[in-house]
Amino acid sequence: MHQEDIVIVTLKVNGVERPLAVEPRRLLCDALREDLGLTGTNLGCEQGVCGSCTVLVDGESVRSCLMFAVQAGGCEITTVEGLASGETLHPLQAAFWEKQALQCGFCTPGFLMAGVELLRRNPEPDEAGVRAALAGNTCRCTGYEHIVDAVLAAADGAARERTFAEEPEVDVAAEVVAREGR
Amino acid sequence: MSQPRSWRGKAGRTMETQERRWIGRDLKRREDPALVTGKARFTNDVSLPGMLHAAVLRSPHAHARILSIDADAARELPGVHAVLTGRDALELIDPVPCFAAEPVEERAIAVEKVRYNGEAVVAVAADSRYVAEDALGRVRVEWETLEPVADAEAAMEPGAPLVHENLDSNVVYDQTFTFGDVEGDFARADRVIRRRLRWPRAAPAPMEPSGAVCAYDSAAGRMDVWSNTNMLNFVAWTIAGTLKMPPHRVNFHPMYTGGSFGSKHVLGKQVAIAGALSKATGRPVKFMEDRADNLMANDSQGPERVYDAELAVTDEGDLLSLRLHTVDDYGAYFMFAITGNTNMMAQISGPYTISSVETGIKAVLTNKNQQTVFRGAGSDVGNWVLERLVDAAANELGLDGIELRRKNFIQPDQFPYKIPTGNVYDSGNYPAVLELALGHADLDHWRAEQERARAEGRYIGIGIATAQQRSTYFSTEFWFHNPAPATGLTTSPESVRIGIGPTGGLTVTMFSPFWGNSPETVVSQVVAEEFGVDPEEVAVDYDSTMHGLPSAGPGGSRMTVMLSGAVRGAAAKVKKKMFDIAAHLLEASPDDLELADGRVWVKGFPVEERSLSIADIGMKAYWHKLELPEGMEGGLEGSYTYDHPYASMPSDDRTDLGAFYPIMGHACHVAVVEVDAETGRVEFLKYLAAHDVGTVVNPRSLQGQIRGGIAQGIGIALYEEVRYGPEGENLSASLDEYLLPGAPDVPRVEVLHHETPSPFTEYGVKGGGEGGRMVAPPAVTRAVEDALSPLGVKIGALPITPEKILTLTQGREA
Amino acid sequence: MKPPSFRYFAARSADEAVGLLAEHGAGARVLAGGQSLVQEMNARRVAPEVLVDVNPAAELAFVRQENGTLSIGALTRTSQVESDATLDGSLTGLREAAARVGHVAVRNRGTVGGNLAHADPAANLPPVMLALDAEVVARGSGGDRSISAANFFLGPHRTALAPAELLTEVRLPLPPEGAGSAFIEVSRRDRGWGIAGAAAVVALDREGGISDARIGLSGVGPTAVRARPAEEVVIGERPSAELWKAAAGAAAAALDAPPSDVHASGRYRRHLAGVLVARALAAAADRAERRN
Repeated sequence: MHQEDIVIVTLKVNGVERPLAVEPRRLLCDALREDLGLTGTNLGCEQGVCGSCTVLVDGESVRSCLMFAVQAGGCEITTVEGLASGETLHPLQAAFWEKQALQCGFCTPGFLMAGVELLRRNPEPDEAGVRAALAGNTCRCTGYEHIVDAVLAAADGAARERTFAEEPEVDVAAEVVAREGR
Repeated sequence: MSQPRSWRGKAGRTMETQERRWIGRDLKRREDPALVTGKARFTNDVSLPGMLHAAVLRSPHAHARILSIDADAARELPGVHAVLTGRDALELIDPVPCFAAEPVEERAIAVEKVRYNGEAVVAVAADSRYVAEDALGRVRVEWETLEPVADAEAAMEPGAPLVHENLDSNVVYDQTFTFGDVEGDFARADRVIRRRLRWPRAAPAPMEPSGAVCAYDSAAGRMDVWSNTNMLNFVAWTIAGTLKMPPHRVNFHPMYTGGSFGSKHVLGKQVAIAGALSKATGRPVKFMEDRADNLMANDSQGPERVYDAELAVTDEGDLLSLRLHTVDDYGAYFMFAITGNTNMMAQISGPYTISSVETGIKAVLTNKNQQTVFRGAGSDVGNWVLERLVDAAANELGLDGIELRRKNFIQPDQFPYKIPTGNVYDSGNYPAVLELALGHADLDHWRAEQERARAEGRYIGIGIATAQQRSTYFSTEFWFHNPAPATGLTTSPESVRIGIGPTGGLTVTMFSPFWGNSPETVVSQVVAEEFGVDPEEVAVDYDSTMHGLPSAGPGGSRMTVMLSGAVRGAAAKVKKKMFDIAAHLLEASPDDLELADGRVWVKGFPVEERSLSIADIGMKAYWHKLELPEGMEGGLEGSYTYDHPYASMPSDDRTDLGAFYPIMGHACHVAVVEVDAETGRVEFLKYLAAHDVGTVVNPRSLQGQIRGGIAQGIGIALYEEVRYGPEGENLSASLDEYLLPGAPDVPRVEVLHHETPSPFTEYGVKGGGEGGRMVAPPAVTRAVEDALSPLGVKIGALPITPEKILTLTQGREA
Repeated sequence: MKPPSFRYFAARSADEAVGLLAEHGAGARVLAGGQSLVQEMNARRVAPEVLVDVNPAAELAFVRQENGTLSIGALTRTSQVESDATLDGSLTGLREAAARVGHVAVRNRGTVGGNLAHADPAANLPPVMLALDAEVVARGSGGDRSISAANFFLGPHRTALAPAELLTEVRLPLPPEGAGSAFIEVSRRDRGWGIAGAAAVVALDREGGISDARIGLSGVGPTAVRARPAEEVVIGERPSAELWKAAAGAAAAALDAPPSDVHASGRYRRHLAGVLVARALAAAADRAERRN
C-alpha cells in the first residue's frame, strides 16, 4: 500500500464527524466496523444479498458492503448505534424487544435500519408492505413474523402519538385559574 | 416396559402440580437490549492489539492432487506475515477432530490432494483481510486434476475414483438394522406402499458465518480462543489436540453466536487455521469465514438421501411395519459418522404404533463438502419420509389421511412407550394435539375453497402432518451404529453455578454460549422460580473453558431441559445451605423453614422478625463465619452438573439401541397453499402449528423457535438446495444461488400449545428448538401435492421448485 | 471477500467523467450505484485499475418529460423511477420494473444507467427499454451519440458503448395517448432476481382493437429480447384470452436457446416466457382499456 493510495475522508456518523485515512477500496462497512469501532453493523455475506450490513446514508438504506468509504464523504450516516438516545431505545428497537423480533440478533441491526427507513417513507404500512420492504434483509431465526409485528407495532405507536398531538393542547395553568376563580 | 441397564432413570417421579410464578410467562428476553443496540459482541467484533487477519485459498477443483505450490510472491507482499500450505501447517496442527470410527482423516489445510471444490489449500495472515486476499491472488498451485465423484450413485460404481485411497470403497458404511418382526409384518400386510423419495442437500447458513480469533502466547504456553463454536466445554479438548496443545492450556471464550442450526458445533477447521497462523506469527489472528467460505466449506451440509421406502399396511389402515433403505451422500469427510441416520432412529416410526422397522444405510463419500448436521439432524428427513408414506397409504387405501393417522396413534395411556428401535417416548397425547389443530384449522372452509378454486381452474391444497420432535439427545447416537463399545462421548451433561453475594445478589454462570436461543432468559426464569425473586434481579454470565464445568452445549433440542435441571440442582444446594444458616440464626429446624418472596420464613410464623432475607443470609455466609453453624465453610454458592435425565445403553447386539432421545415432543401442522399451475409458484393461504413440548418455560420465545423453524422447513420444501455440477463444482456459493426464504415468502403462523409434561425432566420441560423445521416439510409437500391432485401429481423430491411443479403437471418425471 | 485495489477518481460532471475515462483507457470502469460492480469486485471476479465515480455528477440525475419524450438521467436511482407518480399512465410498466429491481437498499443506490450499461440478461430495465423503443445517449470525447435500445445490448454484460464512453441518459418516446404498459416477472422467491420477465406496451384504437404492441423479455437469452412474433400475432386484433395465448405460443416458439442455470432450465424459461407474455399483454391491454 503506497502512501499516495490513501484518501482522507470525513464521515459524519451518528451526528459526529470522523476523519479517516483509507484506501479507496475500503468498504464502508469495514470503515465503520474496524476503523471507527462501530461493530453493531454486521457482515453476513459481503455479496450484497443478506442485508445485515444495512446502514442509512442521508436517510436512505444502503448495503454498506457495496459502497466504498470514500464515497460517503460529507454524507450523514446512521448506524444501529445511533438509533437510541442515551439509554432510551428508539421506538422500533423497543418494539423489537417487546415483540421478540430477534433470536440470534445478528441480522437485527440491518432490519432496524430498513424498518426505520420504511416508517419514515410510509408511516402507516400494511403487512404486505412491511414484508416487501424487508425482503432485502434475510433472517434465518425468526420466520419474520415477530419482525413484521414489531414494525407494525412501532407504526401503530407512532400513529397514536400523532393522534394525541393533533388534539387541542390543554393549558393546565389556565384551567386551574379558571376553576379556582383567580 | 423392560429397559436395558438404566442410566439415571427417574421414571417413578410424579408430575408436579404446584403453581408456578415465573415458568410459563411471556417475559421479554434479557438478551435483547444488547442485540438491538448493536452492543453484543460477536466473534468478528473481537479486536486485539496486533491482531492479523486470515484468508484462505480454496480449491477450484473438486478432486485434484496438489503437485506444487509457489507462494513466494504471496510471502513477499508487504503486510503479509505468514503463508501456510498444508505441508507447512503439519508442524503446527494435527488433523481436525473426527468422531467416526472409520479412518477418514481431515486436515484444516489440505496436504496432498483436495477432495471438494472449496477445500482450503493455503492460509495467509496479513495486516488486513484485504491484503490477505491480495496475497492469495499471488499463489500459484500446480494441479493434477482427478476424476471427480459428483454423486453418490456414481461413487458406488465399481472402479469409481476413490475419495480416500486408504479406504477400498467410497461406501464408507453399509449396514441394515432390523428391529422386530419385519418379515412377518410384511407377510401379514394386505398391501405394501412403495415410494422412492429424495431429500436434497441443504445448508444451515446462519446469518453469522463461523470463525475464530486465536492468540498464542508461547511464553505462557497458552492459547486463547474467541470463537463461535458452541460446544466449548464438550469438544474444546479435542480441538486442543488439533492445535497440538494440552487441553488445559487452551482457553475458549464463550461468544455470542449469530445462529448455528447445527453448523457451529465443532469448528475444528476454523480454530485450527487461526491457531496455526497465530503460532506461526506469534500474534493474534482472526479467521472469519465469509459467505462463500461458509457455503463451500463450513462442514455443515445436511443429508442428501435417496430412499426406497416401504410401508406395510392392512386394508383397514393399520400401519404394521416400515422398511427404509437409503443411500446417503456424505461428501468428502465423515466428521460425525452417520449421525443423522442414527438420530432418526429415535423416532423412525413416528407417533404411530408401527411394530417393526428395517433400516438400511449406505453412507457414501463423494467430492462435496461433508455432511454433518443441520437442525433436525436427519429426523427432519425421517419425518418427511414417514409422512409421505402415510399420505401415500391414505391415497392408495382410499382412506382419509386424518383418520388414518388417528387410528394409528400411540394412545396417551401407552406411555412411556418403547418403539421398535429401543428408544422410549416419555409422554404425549397425540390425539389431543391433532384435535387442537383441527379445532383451529377450519378445514371445512378450506375444502369448500378448494372446490370453488378447482371449478375456476385454480389449485388450492391442504396438507397435514403429525410428527415427532425428539429432544435431549444422549451421545450413544454418535457410536451405536458400530459394534465396538464407545470411547469419548458418552453422557452429555450441562452445568451451572449459582452464587449469592453478601448483598443477596444472585449470579448464575453458564458454560455454554448464547447461540441464538434464550439461555439467559430461561435461566433467570428458573432461578426466580426457585428463589422467589424477580428474574430481572438475577445476573447471568458465561464462563470460559479454563473455568468451566462439564457442559455439552446446545444441540439436539436440549438446552431448556438441561439448563432447567442444572439450575434446579444448583439451587437445591444453595438453598440447603441457606436453610442451614437460617435455622441456626433463627433457632429453628431447617425442616420448619420455607423460602418465599426472597425471604426464609419459619413455617406458620409469617412475621418479619422471625425471617431472614436472602441478603441477610448472604452477608452472614460471606463475612461472619463465627455466626455460621459449627464447622460450616463460608461463602454461599453451589454448582450442579445435570446429566441426561433418562437414558440407557444399547444392547450388545444392537437389536435394542436403548433410550437415547426419550424426551419426545409432537406437533401437528396444517398448511394451505395455492399453486399457480402456469408458473409453478406456490403461495401460502394459511399455516397452523400445534406443538406439545411439555411444560412451556417462555411461550413467546418458543413460538419464535417454532415460527423460525417452519420458515426453514418451508425453505427446504420450496427453495433451498446445495447444488453441485457434474464436475463437482459448487453451484451454490452465494445467497443468490442458495436461496433462503425472505419475509414475503413465509406466511403468518398460528401457533398452539398442548402441554404434556415429561415425567423425566425438571418441571416437565421438553426441548422444542427443532420441531418447526422437522414438521413443516411434510405438511407443505402434502399441501402442494393435494393442490395438484386433479393433475395426478405425486411429489417425491424436494425442493419443489416452480420448474419441478411444471414438469410434474406435464406428466414428466421431476 | 474484499475488493482488490484500484485508483479512485470522483467526477463532478459527465464531461469530467468522459475525460477521466479517456485518460485512463481500458482499465477504467464507471462506478455508478455499484450494486453489481462492487459485488463483482468483492468476489474478485473483476479488478478495474481505475474507478471513475460519477455519483458526484448531479447533473446526470433527472427525470424530464418534454415534447413527447421522457428523458431519464443515467444517475437517476432506480428508487426515484419507482416512486415517480408522473410516470403513471402509459408508463406504469416502467415503474413496475423499477420497483422489482433488487430490494429497497439496492434501488436506493442502483441507477438506471447502471442497470442498462451492466447489461445483465436477467435485469428488469432492458426489456422495458426495448418495449418502449428507447434510445441511449452515450457521451465520448467526440460528443454525444444515441444508440437505439435494440442495438445497445450485444451480449451478457456487453453493450455498444465504447470503452471511453459514458452512458448519460436514456430517452423514451412517450407511448401514444391511451396506451397501457406492464412489467411482470417470475422469480424463485417473491422478490429478488427474476427467472424471466416480460414488459409489454399495448395501444388500442377507438374501436378497441390493438393498434400497436411491443414486448420485451428478460432472462430468456444472452440479452433482453423483443418478442416480435408475439407482437405480430396481436397487432390488429381485439384483446382476448385466446389472443394472449396465441401470442404466448409465438413468443415461446421464437426464442433461441434460453439459458439454463441453477434456478431453472432453458426449457422452463421458454415456457415461462409464454406465460409472462400473455400476462403482461393482458395487464397492459387492461390498463389501456381503462384509460380509453
